Amino acid sequence: MTRNDIAKQMGPAIAGIAYAFPAGSRSIAELAGEAQLASSAETLESFGFGRVHVAETETPYELALKAARQVLAETAVDPETIGLIIYGGTPGSMSFAAAADSEGAARDLCTLSRFKYPATRLQYDLDLPNAWTFAVDQLACTTLLAAARLARSLCLTEGIERALCVSSEFFPVNAGREAIFNCTSDAACAVLIERDGARNRLVSATNVTKGYYWDVDAMRDEIVASYFPTARHVLLRTIADAGWAPDDVDWIIPHNVSLRSWEILSSLVRLPKARVFSENIFRHGHTLAGDNFINYRDALDGGCIKPGQRVVMFSYGFGAHWTGVAVEA
Amino acid sequence: MILPRMVLVTGATGLVGEGVLHRMLADDLSLEVFALVRDDASWHRVARKLGSLSDRIVPVRGDLTLAGLGLEPLVRRRIELQATAIVHAAADTSFSRTLDRARAVNTVGTQHVIELANACPRLERLAFVSTAFVAGRAIGLVAERDNGATAGWVNAYEQSKYEAEDLVRSSGLPWTIMRSSTIACRDASGEVTQINAVHRALRIYHRGLAAMMPGDRDNPLDVVTASFVSGAIARLTVDPRAAGRTVHLCAGRNALTLGELVDTAYDVWAAEPAWRKRRVERAMITDPETYRLFEAAVHQTGDPRLRAILTSLSYFIPQLALPKVFETAAAEELLGTSPPCSREFWLPMLMHLQATNWGHSAEKAA
Repeated sequence: MTRNDIAKQMGPAIAGIAYAFPAGSRSIAELAGEAQLASSAETLESFGFGRVHVAETETPYELALKAARQVLAETAVDPETIGLIIYGGTPGSMSFAAAADSEGAARDLCTLSRFKYPATRLQYDLDLPNAWTFAVDQLACTTLLAAARLARSLCLTEGIERALCVSSEFFPVNAGREAIFNCTSDAACAVLIERDGARNRLVSATNVTKGYYWDVDAMRDEIVASYFPTARHVLLRTIADAGWAPDDVDWIIPHNVSLRSWEILSSLVRLPKARVFSENIFRHGHTLAGDNFINYRDALDGGCIKPGQRVVMFSYGFGAHWTGVAVEA
Repeated sequence: MILPRMVLVTGATGLVGEGVLHRMLADDLSLEVFALVRDDASWHRVARKLGSLSDRIVPVRGDLTLAGLGLEPLVRRRIELQATAIVHAAADTSFSRTLDRARAVNTVGTQHVIELANACPRLERLAFVSTAFVAGRAIGLVAERDNGATAGWVNAYEQSKYEAEDLVRSSGLPWTIMRSSTIACRDASGEVTQINAVHRALRIYHRGLAAMMPGDRDNPLDVVTASFVSGAIARLTVDPRAAGRTVHLCAGRNALTLGELVDTAYDVWAAEPAWRKRRVERAMITDPETYRLFEAAVHQTGDPRLRAILTSLSYFIPQLALPKVFETAAAEELLGTSPPCSREFWLPMLMHLQATNWGHSAEKAA
């Protein structure tokens, strides 16, 4: 079977991607000046970080809605055909608060405000009457990949025609802007999955969760040590499950963590680092909401990814989750 | 009057020295020994283990780093008059020493031993216990001779021992140089009585803090038992054929590969349900360049514990990526036997480490 034949196959696929960043942004030096970083600006810049997006007035929900509206507008699908919304990210009442009010909103999670769900409000605001709606949680930076995987499975098993996956995350106000040597952005990303797509097919998905590393603060060194061997394992398994060999992979679409870590990881899976789409690390930093899909969209728009090319997305999320998804463009 | 044979042993309280004492005294019932010791507590521990054999040992206080070995003049004179052989096993085996500090014990200390040996009219042998890793960064087959210094070294220990070998060879004395491989455990029982860099590295692996190591799965990694090394030293010190010879007390072609050693360790740890539950990945064996990237990234981030771990490993881990096979033909010819296979003791050693929690259980019990 040739690559073109495979491309003609139909299956669950990414029909559209849209993302929204807040208006505000900071350079790494500015973050250092605001004491938002644990490491030095020089170290983080040497890891490839240049600028991050910071939500000052926008709420996570507003960003989510913006991204979701955009993907629906761009794909122009019939809203009635969307049978599923999977939301991930900022929980309950916190989704509707700007950064300055997030502490109060977090306290509201202990009240009935806990049941103010961004997922169901999205269904209403977007007017998607047939969408079964729920959220996924505790997946950190693998949330949107997990949502896409879940959507793929439900499309296949329940006959759902289209699924909208939305993630919106802001970094907690008092957490600084660095997570284990990575600079983080606030953002939202929306991905439309369709059951019978010919382009951008979701070919395989792999996840490894290791609960031993659930306590990020206490297990920091162990997480750094386990990151690479497990990431290598997941990447290779994702590639193998897609029926590919490592050499078949045209692009790795990364989560936007340190360039250095991608140099190491690409070397461990014996893929040239030129195949890692890494330019967004400098421009956007690391978003919890969906680096991989933001990068995938930019790589498509920029003409980097060509039809039929084989792409592997990979992300790591605290908790700890290692997730890979293979896509045929 | 026929004077008894008298041997001066340095490093008598070390793992190898203790074994040498035991074997030499057990093999030659007329033998008497001067044991150069630095502290009484260590000596009493060894003497207790030796039991009645220690009756033929005269502990003498001294220090390798001092001129005249820091011996009392009368004691020194007595050794000069009586010693028929010197087994110089004392060394600073820490890989992390600066070159100056390593030389102070290993090179200058050896010079002090040579000076004493030159003053011993009855001396038949200066047996110098060296390390096979004087080969340093050399790769391939390492011969049982001076292989030069062009390859360079991984750490100051290797260099200081190489320089000490040079002193011994040019001393004009009837020398034998015995290069030990890395000692994994006491004997085939796997008992570990002295924690060294190999055990510490295995502990790091056990704690899930070893992400990767440089090298190739097929690279041989030479380890031996203390009983093999000390037994060989005891025999070769009194073997006339060994004079002027350099021998490798190594596994040689019987060494296991890095992949086998690491996999066996993983399998032993994983047999314990609590450890298996953590789902620690097998440590990756990767090319040196990737390892250097990882090392540099960790150092750049300044995470203190992980950085300290990588620093401690950096003094010897480059050896994993420098494959070498130590020739053992001379040792085999003189000893009349093949070197032991690492497979015989590696697994018991791992089980011992795990069972004793790297010696901590025993300490607690004590």
